Amino acid sequence: MDVFIQTLVSGILIGGIYALVGLGMTLIMGVMRIINLAHGQLMMVAMYITFVLYEFLHIDPYFSLLVSMPALFLVGVLIQKYLLNPLLRIESIIPQNQILMTVGVAMVLTEVMRFIFHSDYKSVKTPYSSAVLYISSIAFNFPMLIAFGIAMILTAGLFFFLLKTDTGKSVRATAQNKDAALLLGVNAEWITQLTYGLGAALAAAAGTLLLPIYYLYPDVGGQFTLKAFVITVLGGLGSTVGAIMGGLVLGVAESLGATYISMALKDAVGMVIFVLVLVFMPGGLKTLTKV
Amino acid sequence: MKRTAIIPVALLFSLGMFISPVLAQEAVRVGVILPVTGEKAKFGEIEKKSFEMALEEINAAGGINGKKLEFLFEDDTGRPDVARSAAEKLITKDKVVMLGGGYGSSETFAVANVAQESGMPFLVATGSDNKITAQKWEYIFRINPPVSDYPKGLESFLTEVVKPQTAAILYENTNFGSSGQKEFQQTCDRLGIKVVMSEGYQSGGMDFKPLLVNVKKANPDLMYLISYVMDASLLMKQSMELRLTPKIFVGGGAGYTLPEFQKNAGKASDAVFSATLWYQTLPYPGAKEYFDKFGKKFGIETEYHGAEGYASAYVIADALKRAKSMKQDDVREALAATDMMTVFGPVKFIAYDKMTNQNKLPTYVVQWLDGKLELVWPKEVASKPYFYPVDWEKVWK
Amino acid sequence: MKSSHWSKLSVVLLLAVFPIIVPSDYYRHIFIMALMWVVIGSSWNLLAGYTGQISFGHAAFFGVGAYTAGLCVTKLHISAWWGMLLAGPVSMLVAFLIGCVCFRLRGPYFNLATLAIAEIFRLTAIVWRDLTDGMQGILIMRTFRNKAYYYYLALILAAACIYAIYRVMRSKWGYYFVAIREDQDAAESMGISAFRYKTFSLLISSFFTGLAGAFYMNYMGFIDPEVVFSLYFISIMAILVAIIGGAGTIWGPAVGAFIMVLLQETFRSSFFGIFPKWVSEAHALAFGLLVIFVIRYMTNGIVGDWVKVQRLWSKNKEQPLASTGS
Repeated sequence: MDVFIQTLVSGILIGGIYALVGLGMTLIMGVMRIINLAHGQLMMVAMYITFVLYEFLHIDPYFSLLVSMPALFLVGVLIQKYLLNPLLRIESIIPQNQILMTVGVAMVLTEVMRFIFHSDYKSVKTPYSSAVLYISSIAFNFPMLIAFGIAMILTAGLFFFLLKTDTGKSVRATAQNKDAALLLGVNAEWITQLTYGLGAALAAAAGTLLLPIYYLYPDVGGQFTLKAFVITVLGGLGSTVGAIMGGLVLGVAESLGATYISMALKDAVGMVIFVLVLVFMPGGLKTLTKV
Repeated sequence: MKRTAIIPVALLFSLGMFISPVLAQEAVRVGVILPVTGEKAKFGEIEKKSFEMALEEINAAGGINGKKLEFLFEDDTGRPDVARSAAEKLITKDKVVMLGGGYGSSETFAVANVAQESGMPFLVATGSDNKITAQKWEYIFRINPPVSDYPKGLESFLTEVVKPQTAAILYENTNFGSSGQKEFQQTCDRLGIKVVMSEGYQSGGMDFKPLLVNVKKANPDLMYLISYVMDASLLMKQSMELRLTPKIFVGGGAGYTLPEFQKNAGKASDAVFSATLWYQTLPYPGAKEYFDKFGKKFGIETEYHGAEGYASAYVIADALKRAKSMKQDDVREALAATDMMTVFGPVKFIAYDKMTNQNKLPTYVVQWLDGKLELVWPKEVASKPYFYPVDWEKVWK
Repeated sequence: MKSSHWSKLSVVLLLAVFPIIVPSDYYRHIFIMALMWVVIGSSWNLLAGYTGQISFGHAAFFGVGAYTAGLCVTKLHISAWWGMLLAGPVSMLVAFLIGCVCFRLRGPYFNLATLAIAEIFRLTAIVWRDLTDGMQGILIMRTFRNKAYYYYLALILAAACIYAIYRVMRSKWGYYFVAIREDQDAAESMGISAFRYKTFSLLISSFFTGLAGAFYMNYMGFIDPEVVFSLYFISIMAILVAIIGGAGTIWGPAVGAFIMVLLQETFRSSFFGIFPKWVSEAHALAFGLLVIFVIRYMTNGIVGDWVKVQRLWSKNKEQPLASTGS
């Protein structure tokens, strides 16, 4: 029984970070209908920023959030403004150009970081990196607990933004029906930039929170991009609640799969769930909750 | 009209194709393939620096019969397909006289295949999968022990001191990990230790707790881990978090002996044992001097991988000096006749255990004590006495 | 147009005699890889550029083809060349099953589904060690030392692939494919079974991609799951080759293949040793910038936007007489 609970705990805590990654991507997908294949790479850039702040200025990663999030927000806005929006106006044989543009962006981000920092593995060792909280023989990894907590706070903040503020409502309007939103006076171009920026900022948060737990190298982004869209599709494109549920479900599924089936198949679990959802429940989990 | 502009551009390309070979070649060139970037970059860095240090010394002492020795380093990025292309480029384009290096087992095997096909002598420095020298490939030589020999030094320690009944083996799903697991499994069978769990994992994982939780349930006396450095750190850190306490943790070399391991795992690296192939206090001439000089010159500590690189540079130079000519077969002959002492130990290529052109050396056991890697077994060459049995609660406080 | 025929002919002639004029194994290798990518890129283009089904998982077929050839040696103990015969049919079978699962999805869902399936193949190949030897990969001794043989084989494959696609696109099927690409529902309502023709397109596409995979096994002599099922180095590379060259054109992927491979190698070798070493480290960066540039400014690829490219040249030489549009 202990094994089961420990596995569950591990899965939920990791799921919190996954949810954060998924949230960013689902926003972008919902509003712009594009798959942001540069998502993991945005996270990676934030991780490098966090690393540099820690190594040279000794700023704790959790405070770096205040730097990495706005920084990536800005990067996101610029990417959307100069690279992605222009594509919308061009007629081309393949409509999925935006996705490929994000692939190009992902490559450039990765290589620029590799150029600056080289390919060796970097990590930050904070005094609490290996701190563990014990609740009757179940170990709760401290940094992961904090990451989970902050992820939940950010999620709540996002909800508030989307539901209560005017800008947030404009974002949701644009996601529902872009043309209608335009007719109602929403500046769709600015909204798309804002949304991409927001998505990037959320990815940045996930990265910053992850650094004390994992390590960093230029190619670390790829696996998170993959996880991000598994979560997004699992939760339902554009559904924020879905992304959270998706993140937690993926985290727990991976954990359980690793313990009870085989560690080696951990990544496959996500992929299989993904395909099953696509085939049997294309709307994702959100179809179960109607949010 | 515009299309004809393409012609000068094409000509420029074709020019590039013929220019490079014209560059002067008075030096004796040897290709060295190492992981400069990628997952194994830390090891590649230590080996490359060791090769370079040796090169300086060799050239200062007159090079190869008066001619300068040159090492052309190629980055295999930790991928066997890249290693293969690098080897082909060195052989066909740069026309080196022999190859050296080879860190990861998969990469080394891929390079060896190309080298053997082209009749190019290749001195392996680190790649440890047995099969690299078990193919009867006469052009392939290996200075370091194969992975089946890694636990040999450990054997007497286990039978005399620890006497474990059960063991769990965790290994990376690569050539190095799988072959290491197979060999250790055989060692356990031979020593009468029951292997209660043996599981592979994908390297680069974030959360090993599901795996470790199962190990905890199986409660082995001995945990044998085969990993490169980042996984090694995470595995030990997470074992500590879960309070997974076998009688003894043993790493199968590689990640567990790097200074990075101690830096990243911190407290979790304390009292961890590992198999190793070399240590600076061993009675080989120049071993301690190499260790000290490296530390002073580069500011980081070297360990057995570096020693392998350094020693193989000297073996290469020695063979080239003795070779009748720089033709591939003459170099091969000279290499086969090697019989010298290096900082890594004596080097003489023999056939044993289904392998050929293999150097035979003993292996040892090290342990992390007070943040430093100490040689603890066999007792005769130990730098510090071993610390066992281990009260993990005290160590991990 | 005479000049375009002449230039095409001279290119073909040049390719035909290339290994004879250039004896260096190194450069032959680059061209062999370029030709292999012509096959993969063109195959992808048939399914995506012409039929509008953007697959992000073509590595699945490449890998299946490669492993078919590899397993011939390790499991059946016959030469990997048999793999070249078997790879096509095996890939088609796999493709058919994938199509059954994925063709009901559209747009981004389809993209992601194909991507996920290729990843599942990769992970399965890593884990199912009894079948594939996992990450240890499959290594075989190559049949020919002289690369010229492989060169001509690749050339034949590339030519066959392009010719096949050319014939298909000129036939009724070609019309159906494009109709489905332009508007699947309209096509359906006109009696074109979308599923059936998408499947045909997929079968042809996977056939050649699988063949390329088997070729890779025979030529390189070594494969492992990371290499042949790679998302970035196979699937995405295929997309880039076709897009940069020009999706939806016959020669686009061929041009794209040569550009991508040559450019990559030019950078990796620091322009063949002319420039300092750090340039080689920037090769992936140059690649990424090229992708961004082409997608932003030449969305239809070099062949597709050839008019734009021509105008770029002419700007350097003479003023255009009159602007005739975008």
